[in-house]
Amino acid sequence: MKPTNPLHSQRGASTVRVSAGIAVIAALFAFPQFVESPYILHMMILFFLSTLMGQSWNIIGGYTGQYSVGHAAYFGTGAYTTLILLTTKEIAPWYGMWVGIAASVVLALIIGSICFRLRGPYFVLASIAVAEIVRCTALNLTNLTKGAEGILVVDIPAFKIGETIITDFSSKVPYYYIALVLALVIIGVTWLVQHSKLGYYFQAIREDQDAAHSLGINLTIWKNSALVISAAFTSLAGSFYAIFVKFIDPSTVLPLDLSVQIVLISIIGGIGTIFGPVIGALVLVPLSEALRSNVITEGLIKIGLVSEESGVGIFLKEHLAHAHVLIYGILVVVVILFMPEGVLGYFRKMTTKKKGGEA
Amino acid sequence: MAILEIKNVSKFFGGLAANSDVSFEMTEGMIMGLIGPNGAGKTTLFNCITGYYPPSKGEVIFDGKKMNGLQPDAVCKLGMARTWQKVRPLAKMTLLDNVMVGALCRTNSLKVAREMAMEQIKVVRMEHRANFLAGGLPIGERKKLEVARVLATQPKLLLLDEVMGGLNPAESDEIIQLILDIRKLGITQMVIEHDMKAIMRISDRIVVLNSGEKLAEGMPDEIVKNPEVVAAYLGSE
Repeated sequence: MKPTNPLHSQRGASTVRVSAGIAVIAALFAFPQFVESPYILHMMILFFLSTLMGQSWNIIGGYTGQYSVGHAAYFGTGAYTTLILLTTKEIAPWYGMWVGIAASVVLALIIGSICFRLRGPYFVLASIAVAEIVRCTALNLTNLTKGAEGILVVDIPAFKIGETIITDFSSKVPYYYIALVLALVIIGVTWLVQHSKLGYYFQAIREDQDAAHSLGINLTIWKNSALVISAAFTSLAGSFYAIFVKFIDPSTVLPLDLSVQIVLISIIGGIGTIFGPVIGALVLVPLSEALRSNVITEGLIKIGLVSEESGVGIFLKEHLAHAHVLIYGILVVVVILFMPEGVLGYFRKMTTKKKGGEA
Repeated sequence: MAILEIKNVSKFFGGLAANSDVSFEMTEGMIMGLIGPNGAGKTTLFNCITGYYPPSKGEVIFDGKKMNGLQPDAVCKLGMARTWQKVRPLAKMTLLDNVMVGALCRTNSLKVAREMAMEQIKVVRMEHRANFLAGGLPIGERKKLEVARVLATQPKLLLLDEVMGGLNPAESDEIIQLILDIRKLGITQMVIEHDMKAIMRISDRIVVLNSGEKLAEGMPDEIVKNPEVVAAYLGSE
């Protein structure tokens, strides 16, 4: 048995941490001044977006222990609401996203009132089912969503405050800053949750619902609060995705794949921690990009492990890019077997061992 | 004035009567022992009183209010709290955090909750364990964690379900002392216990359940002499 929070040396460590954090944030804000490559900016934007998605899920899944595998429903609701309002009513996305959040919150309360009667694996299955219902609805409600054809926007209206144009979205830089701010906001929100009554109640529910109930915690109210916070930020991620990619259809913003991916960001990084989803995004975004662009095969050929003309080389070149789901699967198995508390939890354990047992 | 009145409470599971027509009263400040052979319906009665099951028939009146149909969290807020026969620590949280969850029932401030929690941790004498993860504590300390956690919800009436179960004699003695300390704080207690010596020592009154029905009620020395109680425990011939 080891104490988990020795009071000594905490203050010193936290000052170092705060200054390191400020330095990292400053560097991220300065980043586009030095790096102009749209490709790298694009990667960074995906990293921030993934952080936002993973962290949103972390609040309901990691802290409250309710493994929703239907978060694509909120992502899609945010994306669709924003683009439908933009294309049909010419409402700018920065107003549309609030409508999207409101719609997702309503959806979350409906889903919560149905699914939270169930516990454990039954809750997981119900959350998948409800998200699939939302996807099928979007697919068939063609006069609103254009069904499988999807919605395409050409121009995003310039962002104005009064008459001053802040940005016209002609490059990746404004997206970079929006995504960065969103990622920082969700990390801040998670910090606030963890350091308030909410965090204590969410974690109590995760650890033992019956015990939590007997200690005066109204399970319906608190589980739904967690889901509402989570859904609101997932919806925001959807709205951002929609104006960033400018094209959505049910198979990109509402599929089960996406729900699973949102869960993976958090699980791979380490659930129930503030920086777990950040680490998860840091692992998953480059990995999926490497798979997509076939960097791995090229690397293997370069080191000389596989010859380009050999059967294996040709096979890898043709199929590895399509095998990202397989690689994801292997990654999840590895994480669950060897790092059940995620990458962050694993490294924490390693460092504690070195320091002689104190966390 | 009676703090708790149980009036003709029955609980049926299908055709099976886990409790039938149980009635008794508790006065403020007393320790009531609830005993009976395995399967007598003691824990079911606890569940009916604290809102985990709605009673099929009858009424539970606490502090002048009818409790039927209230959920466990509402029952807890009104000042009636329970512990579990099988301990339920919030494993990945520290002892202090566990007790704070109880205290947060009465406050929204973490700072106030922390102070309230430390107070209760002192009552169970576990200050040295405050920052240990609950999941890593041995059984005796987990039982005390449960007591500290419910005490932090500031109950008027505490229901303890076999807090001495699975403990060694030294640990049991500690819990007996703890129950007597809690009485000094002015908290009324109902205690389910299998350890007869312990229950005779601490109880002001004892209710005996057998096959879901109230078999006897009285002072401890009356209960040990009651032939029906002896027959229920040892078998009659």
